[in-house]
Amino acid sequence: MTMPASRSAPISSETGSEASPPPLELADLSVMIGGQGGDGTLTVSDLLGRYFRKRGLYVYTSRNVLSRIRGGHADASVRASRERVAAVKSQVDVLVAFDNEAIEMGRTELAPHGYILYDSTTFHSELPNSAGFPFATLVGGQLGQPIFKNTAAYGALSILLGFDAQVTREVIEERFKRRGAEALEKNLKALEIGRKAAIDAHGVANRYSVVGGDAHNLVLTTGNQAAALGFVVGGGRFFAGYPITPATEIMEYLQRYLPPFGGVVRQAEDELAAINMIIGASYAGSRVMTSTSGPGLSLMTEGIGHAGAAEIPIVVVDCQRVGPSTGQPTRNEQSDLSHLANLGHGEFPRFILSPATPEDAFHLTIEALNLAEKWRLPVLLLMDQALSQNTATSARFDLSSVRIDRGGRLSPEQVEKLAQYKGYEVTEDGRTAVAPPGTPGIWSEVTGNEHDEWGHVSVNPANRVRMMKKRMEKMTKARADLPSARIEGPETARIGFIGYGGTSGPIEEALRLLGARGIRARYFQARTVYPVPVQELDPFLKSVDVAYIVEHNYTGQFARLIRENLPWHHTKLRSILKFDGATFRAPELVARVQEGGSP
Amino acid sequence: MTQSAKPVPPIWCPGCGDFGVLAAVKKAASNLKIPVHELVLVGGIGCSGSIHNFIEINGLHALHGRLLAQAVGVKLANPSLTVVAAGGDGDGYAIGMGHFMHAFKKNASILYIVMNNETYGLTKGQASPTSQIGFEGNVEPPFHAILSALSIPAPNFVARTFSGDPKGMTAILEEALRFNREGRGFAFVEDLSPCVTYNDTYKLWREKVLDVSKVPGYDPTDNKTMFRLCLETIEQGRIPIGVMHRPKEVAQDGLERKLIGDGPGPVRTDIRLESNLAAYQKLLSGLS
Repeated sequence: MTMPASRSAPISSETGSEASPPPLELADLSVMIGGQGGDGTLTVSDLLGRYFRKRGLYVYTSRNVLSRIRGGHADASVRASRERVAAVKSQVDVLVAFDNEAIEMGRTELAPHGYILYDSTTFHSELPNSAGFPFATLVGGQLGQPIFKNTAAYGALSILLGFDAQVTREVIEERFKRRGAEALEKNLKALEIGRKAAIDAHGVANRYSVVGGDAHNLVLTTGNQAAALGFVVGGGRFFAGYPITPATEIMEYLQRYLPPFGGVVRQAEDELAAINMIIGASYAGSRVMTSTSGPGLSLMTEGIGHAGAAEIPIVVVDCQRVGPSTGQPTRNEQSDLSHLANLGHGEFPRFILSPATPEDAFHLTIEALNLAEKWRLPVLLLMDQALSQNTATSARFDLSSVRIDRGGRLSPEQVEKLAQYKGYEVTEDGRTAVAPPGTPGIWSEVTGNEHDEWGHVSVNPANRVRMMKKRMEKMTKARADLPSARIEGPETARIGFIGYGGTSGPIEEALRLLGARGIRARYFQARTVYPVPVQELDPFLKSVDVAYIVEHNYTGQFARLIRENLPWHHTKLRSILKFDGATFRAPELVARVQEGGSP
Repeated sequence: MTQSAKPVPPIWCPGCGDFGVLAAVKKAASNLKIPVHELVLVGGIGCSGSIHNFIEINGLHALHGRLLAQAVGVKLANPSLTVVAAGGDGDGYAIGMGHFMHAFKKNASILYIVMNNETYGLTKGQASPTSQIGFEGNVEPPFHAILSALSIPAPNFVARTFSGDPKGMTAILEEALRFNREGRGFAFVEDLSPCVTYNDTYKLWREKVLDVSKVPGYDPTDNKTMFRLCLETIEQGRIPIGVMHRPKEVAQDGLERKLIGDGPGPVRTDIRLESNLAAYQKLLSGLS
């Protein structure tokens, strides 16, 4: 992870040097792009991500935007590495700034060898190791619209970082071809304007070079896009939702993906309607899902409880953000777990699954659909803002491992052979086979009231006990069906990490950083978070002397669940918590391990 | 033949207006020869919302106020089903008001029957959104669902019936169901259904109901005319009943048709992996 320092002191373009020193080689670099919302920082980040991916590097991009349409400081960062990374780097190598505020905010994270490339249209910076170009003026003058300044900045950056000119151009073509010939042409011109400005300037060209990698045949995507794709491939055909950051993209992707497959996507009037629409559609026999974040989840709680009581299969994606109340809509947190594990009044079974990467999100969404239908209960897919919205390189989604399991769904032929059709029949294995309405020859009663096997409302105490057991025992009877944890790192390690979701990237990187210092550590990525995977956690915790439970909240929600379920290991457990809205950086975790952490 | 859930005896008080609705729903469905297995009755919470337990039908007992959202979900997932949502005035006009107004806008081809008794019967007689001023200390003016329905420029079927007139009610429910089954959109029928225990209005309502089709100028294709006609009837101290809105055009405007067209809908679509493999591969190849 260390930067080979092939040159002693960077030369400022202000001073202008005749001698052109060799470029500084970067094998793990971070570019931060900052400006006002609407400046197009996300576009630059997207272009860079595409470029690095084409060069065989692992890519991770993140964003820091305000909850407003335009204006306000916004920044995005792109990390590219020869090694698998899924976390923000702690230092920035190159800062691209569209205003002075972006420089002020970004320079605190700038590495000693770092460089600032800025739009000098409205201000001038005296900082060393910086170069200003009036991108907005240059582009505005030649193309009539200053909005292409971001593409010009990408052009200048491509010169600074010694990009391959052909690949640089391909990225623009790939990104803008769908916007029409005129948009593509203007962006290509803007690219050349930026490139030329940087080539003509002293000491900017080839200051750095990016070492190519061998990570080919990967895709660059977000957890939200992957979950949407998983829903389609998993046979999901009905989705209802309500716009909410950071979950909205799932609905937006599905609005594009589902109709060609005969599916329906509805934007409902509120989350109450969304959850109840999917309940109705699931009752009718479709595979269904909704996605939301904290505030929407609070409203959906009523419906999720109903699905638990009436045994209606639903999948709810929770893209966690900073809470409670409106909290910080665009910032990262993992503080909904306690709510999800205890969600609703009364008692009913639920499974909580959590993916760590886009690829994992794709497969776990499919698994969530299978489990919901097989066990007829709500399955909650726990994501977080970082996983939902940050892009990461991921292995291509493997369709050959996909399995659609419709559980105990009865065909009309099977129904015909039945003497009786009971929608809530109590069975040995805890699963009840059902047929959707419209199946000839039968009808049924489905209700959230306590009911007997026929679905008739019942206050009989013996029946109540029988039905409570029927539902609650799904939590134990389904255990073998639940997705297993992923364990990384050497078996001989005496230090363990436990986490789920978006903390996996920083944790895996921390394992490498610790390894480089001769400290062996392992990581337990919980993919089933609830019920707590006791059978998997027990041997893991036995194998280590100390385990750090890493999560983004104040109270240590996952740690509490683990303590409650594996009390005999409690002396080994330490919490590493962060709740400032930002994601963990790997060095933070390393530092905490070296401090020893607090129990 | 496979045995399904048998209807249970109604929980309603003898003489309850809801018996009229139960009889009219059965009669209308049987007149239209709708097979039982294709009928879904989504019930709300309250006395009226238990109606699906008393009839051979696919019953989905929804949450309080959420029956319309669930009913729309059922219809969009499988448009070949005939979907009826039925609940009370508290369910529809208090806790479910948001979904109620949006149902007109959505215009899915489902029938919504509100059994309006101007009180919360099951919780023993509190004031409801349609209660008259003075009832149980109520100081808020009653909500007029028909006037609200007429204020929305959508091609819905809107009518009001009275449990004291079972024949009229059956005819209207039959028309509403036919409207739905032709894919023309949302049908809303408010039935005046007296609560004999907490708000026995049979006598009063029998005296006051006025069939609007007998009023000069009656034109159910025109919202403006019908809004004025209803308002004037109310101002005269009468209670308007009858068909209040019937779209001029015979168009298949139902939401399910707009979304699915002639397709089979989500439930009857083949979701097997092997049937979709090439299309999925193409979809995934779109990832850069």
